Amino acid sequence: MEIKVLRNIMKRNEDLATVNRELFDRYGILAINLMSSPGAGKTTILERTIAKLKDELKIGVIEGDLMTTKDAERIHRYGVPVVQINTEGGCHLDANMVNRAMQELEIENLELVIIENVGNLVCPSAFDLGDDLKVVVISVPEGDDKPLKYPVMFREAKACILNKIDLLPYSNFNVDNFTEDVLSLNPNIEIFQMSASSGEGIDEWCLWLKREWERKRQRRR
Amino acid sequence: MHEMAIVDSLFKIINAKVKEHQIKKVVKVKLKVGEMTAVEPMTLTACFEVYAQNTVVEGAELVIERIPLQGKCRECANVFRVYNYNFQCPQCESRSIETVAGRELYIENLEVEE
Repeated sequence: MEIKVLRNIMKRNEDLATVNRELFDRYGILAINLMSSPGAGKTTILERTIAKLKDELKIGVIEGDLMTTKDAERIHRYGVPVVQINTEGGCHLDANMVNRAMQELEIENLELVIIENVGNLVCPSAFDLGDDLKVVVISVPEGDDKPLKYPVMFREAKACILNKIDLLPYSNFNVDNFTEDVLSLNPNIEIFQMSASSGEGIDEWCLWLKREWERKRQRRR
Repeated sequence: MHEMAIVDSLFKIINAKVKEHQIKKVVKVKLKVGEMTAVEPMTLTACFEVYAQNTVVEGAELVIERIPLQGKCRECANVFRVYNYNFQCPQCESRSIETVAGRELYIENLEVEE
């Protein structure tokens, strides 16, 4: 005998993501889901971004990490509220983890929440967190072939940061091929070239982030 | 390996059905999985077998139907199969493409012993 089910397997996560999204909207918070493979430079980008924007926006950070509190400690030094989620081996954050972290973070006092996902280019793309926009970071040493290997991530991101461009002279990374592949997946994506360690490209990125925040505020009014 | 989390959600749905219909044995579980879901069928099947152990689902066959990626052109409304993740309309060359199929991740039905 056959029993019809027809249920979206991700529904539980999607329902919770909707709850998170409504909460972010209620307080007029712009929520960013920052994703990349391990070592692409998410935390350094975050540090630079906080240093640049913390006098203009009330920023809070949710740090996803497999085991350690190393990233949260780095963020804590900048004097912004940060909540650590240890997934204990789990390869992605889900909407439920973020929901608990939001309560701990007291988001009602914040304007910009950045969620640093677990370093992984595959799994996080399957779990909506209730964020406003997804940002994917890729670094020069990873190679220019990554967009087509991890299409879901690049298709859904609103912005892509190409980090560690100071290493371009030592690499066969082809920026034109990379840009063409990213745009073929997602023609509306914003691409930022950056060297987070030197600070190059941080200003343009922060300007864009600020504009996205203003846009969200206007939608709310 | 997010397949474990997906299978966890899948079993919440299956277990609710098992209870609702007082199912004694599940012989087949049919899923529809889009091409652009980042789900690896072999991993999904391995996780499924682990979760099925010592339940009425143990030994059931997991059937995964892959759904091809399809786009719809926002300019000329052409619906086409997207190959190699190249989101460009073959008719008018527009790159403004809506994904209309290939993101599915759902359980279609259960086959059970009466």
